[in-house]
Amino acid sequence: MDLSELERDNTGRCRLSSPVPAVCHKEPCALGVDEAGRGPVLGPMVYAICYCPVSRLDALKALKVADSKTLSESERDRLFAKMEEDRDFVGWALDVLSPNLISTSMLGRVKYNLNSLSHDTAAGLVQHAMDQGVNVTQVFVDTVGMPEKYQERLQQRFPGIEVTVKAKADALYPVVSAASICAKVARDKAVKNWQFVETLQDLDTDYGSGYPNDPKTKAWLRKHVEPVFGFPQFVRFSWRTAQSILEKEAEGVTWEDSSIEDQEGPGRITSYFFSEAPRPRPPHRYFLERGLEPATIL
Amino acid sequence: MESGEDATGRHRLHLRPDTLRDAAPATLHLLPCEVLASRPAPVERFFTPAIRQRADGLEVSFRGRTLRGEEVVVPPGLAGYVMEADEKAEVLTGLGRKHKSRVEDDGEGQTRPEPLERGFDRCIGATASFDRFHLWGLETIPGPDAKVRGALTWPRLAAAVHAPVPED
Repeated sequence: MDLSELERDNTGRCRLSSPVPAVCHKEPCALGVDEAGRGPVLGPMVYAICYCPVSRLDALKALKVADSKTLSESERDRLFAKMEEDRDFVGWALDVLSPNLISTSMLGRVKYNLNSLSHDTAAGLVQHAMDQGVNVTQVFVDTVGMPEKYQERLQQRFPGIEVTVKAKADALYPVVSAASICAKVARDKAVKNWQFVETLQDLDTDYGSGYPNDPKTKAWLRKHVEPVFGFPQFVRFSWRTAQSILEKEAEGVTWEDSSIEDQEGPGRITSYFFSEAPRPRPPHRYFLERGLEPATIL
Repeated sequence: MESGEDATGRHRLHLRPDTLRDAAPATLHLLPCEVLASRPAPVERFFTPAIRQRADGLEVSFRGRTLRGEEVVVPPGLAGYVMEADEKAEVLTGLGRKHKSRVEDDGEGQTRPEPLERGFDRCIGATASFDRFHLWGLETIPGPDAKVRGALTWPRLAAAVHAPVPED
């Protein structure tokens, strides 16, 4: 799995795919969708699809693919290598969403939450396989949020395909297990070889699991706070854990779309009855519109 | 300055002209947010390497939010300086010596240096100069209507407004 494109620029998203096996153009195919790294406060989230002809599902099953969470790292690597050997009938594709993309989506003026981002990414990958000419007839997805709603949305988007969205699909369907292995292998590799955009002094690469409740991960976050910039882009700023560390250990920042209540405390109630001081005449509109103020203090 | 009601807000400013000559060019970024502190920041290590050139302008992120940016050139006839006020008393003493030549008549035919008062006299000097800077907007490129672009038109207008009007 060659992630060098991601290593060149990991500020956005990066799609990677295997060549499409010739047989997948002709024969009806089953396609599985799964993700890795949804929960961690560090590193990318990886979405993966894996597909093969419906007639060859037994051969995929024979590889003994299983839910990636039940496998050790070396078992996952071994299984991914086996899938690569079977490239005459098994294909895959990945979408790596950088932590910066996740932060900026979730913290946008118009919030783009992780569920919507996940759903759109999954649908994008199915579309990508179809665009590459894979004859997709069945799609199996491990659910994010409510399976019924998610299934309905995907079914609407892909009316000609039989869509199944289920919790624990990664344990139930071999194509989803295979997708979960691709996703997890990619996520682990991306985290291990993460190219920090920033120049960091005494960078500690012992992040722990990356999950917010891991004391090692929390300690890593605290150690790498920068008072003005916050964290390196490797951190998902939109995570509660990251935000609360910044609130305590970094300088405050107000944005033009921060709510007014956040910026000013409530006024005194007496201000409605008495004018406390003569109001200074506001500056001319010319100055207001240009953000110009007289410099009276240094 | 002279109209200030509050005595604590009154200052007499002295510009150290030599600093204008020596000010090295700096790369500046104007962000669409306020950092509630004034302190040095590792811009070169954290911010600059994260800037990406996109088809329609610059992109970077700050505190997990997308910024879109462009370069603004300081209008001709103007020069940009980063000014800093000196807080320390020894600077004022130094200034006193330097300005020995500046004298005033004490009314008895003798001259003495203009006295400097701590807390009233302040020195400002340039720490850097610039003829362009990066202007950043939250998720959108600020464009021609940006406030600061309007602000840069003020010096020309001010010069016109304050220019002496010929009698006839």
